[in-house]
Amino acid sequence: MKLYIGGAYQGQTELAVQENPDAEVLTDFHEMVREALRRGEEPRAFAVSICEVKPDAVVVCNEVGAGVVPIDAGERAFREAVGRALCVVAQNAESVTRCVCGIGVRIK
Amino acid sequence: MTILITGGSGCGKSTYAERVIASNPHKKRYYIATMQVYDEESVRRVARHRAQRQDKGFTTIERQKDLGALELESGCAVLLEDLPNLLANEMFDGGDPERIIPALESLNDRCGLLVLVTNDIFSDGVVYPDMTQEYIRLLSRVNRAAAMMADQVIEVVYSIPLYIKGGTSCV
Repeated sequence: MKLYIGGAYQGQTELAVQENPDAEVLTDFHEMVREALRRGEEPRAFAVSICEVKPDAVVVCNEVGAGVVPIDAGERAFREAVGRALCVVAQNAESVTRCVCGIGVRIK
Repeated sequence: MTILITGGSGCGKSTYAERVIASNPHKKRYYIATMQVYDEESVRRVARHRAQRQDKGFTTIERQKDLGALELESGCAVLLEDLPNLLANEMFDGGDPERIIPALESLNDRCGLLVLVTNDIFSDGVVYPDMTQEYIRLLSRVNRAAAMMADQVIEVVYSIPLYIKGGTSCV
């Protein structure tokens, strides 16, 4: 498993596809976490199941946790859930790449 | 030794901060908890943090404002969690935000190991009402002052520590 992260539209999806042409790329992982929350799943357990079911996948996700803590409880839970889920993916991943302005920085 | 740890929501800052303290030899370890517990969500958060740091030898000090008045023995290890809550308490609950930086300086002088946890709240591109903008501005000032006095500044990105200042891992 590999993980590509970045702020909105920082080029993480393009980079993930470019560097892993033959892999299954799971884009917008943050939206997958949102759906999991909606289904009532615990975010870490959700991430563990993704790691188990798709160990060779490339996960692409927006960084969404670097803002003022939202007043809305649902938005607050969403941001934290993405963080918790990504900690699991990052620990499982053989590499983690953070994309800034289209440039990937390998942080693991 | 003073270490500032930053990162976004749910990125593993606390876990990392606790590991830093636990892996150092200081016998006396204090956890300064600044969050006001006012609803079920904060009760759960406190329970999660308490469970996470049990067996790590911390004495918990509940202190929501005015850290400068704390009397701690010199040479102890302190984990302060966290600066955004401390600032919110000083700003919005009858305190004085101007006393935060001097209080951090006195902790910096007194502690053998000081670990400060803050939060990256600066990158959502939203323009908030004046009071919130002022909070963001003041937190950035506190963060920069803390980073200046810190020997190490670490950004935790989904459990991965990035060394912004001061070289390599101390865990």
